[in-house]
Amino acid sequence: MSEKEATVEKARAVIQPACSICEDDGKVSLHIEMPGVEKDGIEVSVEKNELIISGKATKKEAEGTYLIRERHPGDYRKRFIIDDTIDQEKIEASMNNGILSLTLHTKESAKPKKIEIR
Amino acid sequence: MNLMLRNRDMDLDPVSEFDRLQRELNRWFDVGFDNRGLFDRSLAPALDLVENNDGYILYVDLPGVDKKDIELTVDNNVLTINGTKKEANENKRFFRRETWTGSFRRTISLPQAADSEKVQAELANGVLKVTIGKKEELKPRQIAVAVR
Repeated sequence: MSEKEATVEKARAVIQPACSICEDDGKVSLHIEMPGVEKDGIEVSVEKNELIISGKATKKEAEGTYLIRERHPGDYRKRFIIDDTIDQEKIEASMNNGILSLTLHTKESAKPKKIEIR
Repeated sequence: MNLMLRNRDMDLDPVSEFDRLQRELNRWFDVGFDNRGLFDRSLAPALDLVENNDGYILYVDLPGVDKKDIELTVDNNVLTINGTKKEANENKRFFRRETWTGSFRRTISLPQAADSEKVQAELANGVLKVTIGKKEELKPRQIAVAVR
């Protein structure tokens, strides 16, 4: 492999995983597909208004010859800008079957207020 | 409510993205119809097939699929993976949807040397690993030849 090809390979080592975002009852849930990533390989952090999710895949290069190769060999990384209405202190994460689920709650102050009519 | 303003991920390398696109296009023209159709990409999970001295290992990306929803059959050296990926967030309002749900099916022809009696499968972290043994008589063998 030439040096240039090697750099390209290295740059490709990180991909953006498929992600679905849905809203339910004032909560926003993110479901990120990261097959091959264990619970320990996940890192979720919030920096200012950025939510950074990275997953290190445990799948290593298998010994032998590849007859079919379609899966992505690299790690995962995804970044989101989160709105002010999200409570950054209240982010829940769980990992199940290669899917990382994050639940973001909206701040109490940002919830719609109901005004009673007298 | 504008929660996800935009995705500002500039980590992408445009060169590698073009490279990836080219590879993907090449692959469409390379594969036969027996292997995979042109348009069922999203519903056909990606897989790797690796050959080593003892046999073959098949890795299939199946994030979010339950063990009980996967059916694996081997018939005449043709391996079929059937299954359903269930939607966990039904009736919710989606902002973005990149993941797919529904039934999927992948069929691959195993090499001649594969022994359909020796198939084992395990599911971990959304990856199905299928180990397929090789027929003893077709294993590469080293025969020591005494030189006189």
